[in-house]
Amino acid sequence: MADRTRRGVLAAAASLPLLAVSGCKGVGALAPPPRPGPDVRVLRAAIAAEEAMIARYGTAITRFPGLAKTLAGLRAEHRLHLAELRTRLVIPPGSPYRSGFTSPSPRPAGSPGAAAALPAGQAAALDFLQTAEDSAAAALLRGLPAVPPSLAQLLASVAASESTHVAVLRSAAG
Amino acid sequence: MSGTAVGPGTVSALQAALAAEHAAVYGYGVAGAYLDGPARTAATADWYAHQVARDTLEAMLRQAGAKPVAAAPAYQLPHKVNGPVSATALAVLLENRVTAAYLGVVAVSDPAVRQFGARAMAAAAGRAASWRGRTVAFPGFPPSAFS
Repeated sequence: MADRTRRGVLAAAASLPLLAVSGCKGVGALAPPPRPGPDVRVLRAAIAAEEAMIARYGTAITRFPGLAKTLAGLRAEHRLHLAELRTRLVIPPGSPYRSGFTSPSPRPAGSPGAAAALPAGQAAALDFLQTAEDSAAAALLRGLPAVPPSLAQLLASVAASESTHVAVLRSAAG
Repeated sequence: MSGTAVGPGTVSALQAALAAEHAAVYGYGVAGAYLDGPARTAATADWYAHQVARDTLEAMLRQAGAKPVAAAPAYQLPHKVNGPVSATALAVLLENRVTAAYLGVVAVSDPAVRQFGARAMAAAAGRAASWRGRTVAFPGFPPSAFS
């Protein structure tokens, strides 16, 4: 896909300054790398939002075992979203802009360390999750103008998926 | 969307979405005939939704100075429809195709058209999930896209 190419371009662009000065003045002579572009910021936000959703579902599944099957299915889709979003972001090791960034390498998401706040009652929790899904989808749509076409398609698809989750949660709430 | 700043890529994507909407309007007409009760009510609502979407796309294309693609007199159905199960499967397929068509709209450069495409994708994905009885992780993309 075009995104594989894009990843290659991003990685290549990141290495160009190093190649240009290698054997000359060393890495220390490099100017700071350019700040991440708006597309990177949108992507980072999308990744963070997916991690938060996975954590919320993790908490909900533990707290409401009667809804575990339904909620686990939705969480599984968020995990797929997260995995794909992570593949779109390549930040060179050592970049000062890497700090605060979630590693693109796979790691367990929604693990026990990632417990999330959720309202106590089942009805309130489901309502909270609906609002969170809605908000996440809306944020993705707001980011569309800032990203290249292939990433826009992925974000729109993830947003559409999250919109469908709202209906599932509403149905589960009865 | 202004009538002067629309590129050929945008027009092409909107035409593809319109063609998918035409097919959906036709297809729901067939599917609805084999459905009863709440399913028929849902099919009727979705049929109207696709008519509205069709009209919206036609207006956008005219505003862009393009001639909207016309509906075909008839469409080859992807499978035989002779009962509720096959009618429901047709509805899922129609929505999947509409969602995929709007995925093309999302790729255009005009931000407003992108947003329009994304909202239309969400609507179609919601209808597809309702007919399918389950959600999918990446509406609009083929199932193998990210495997």
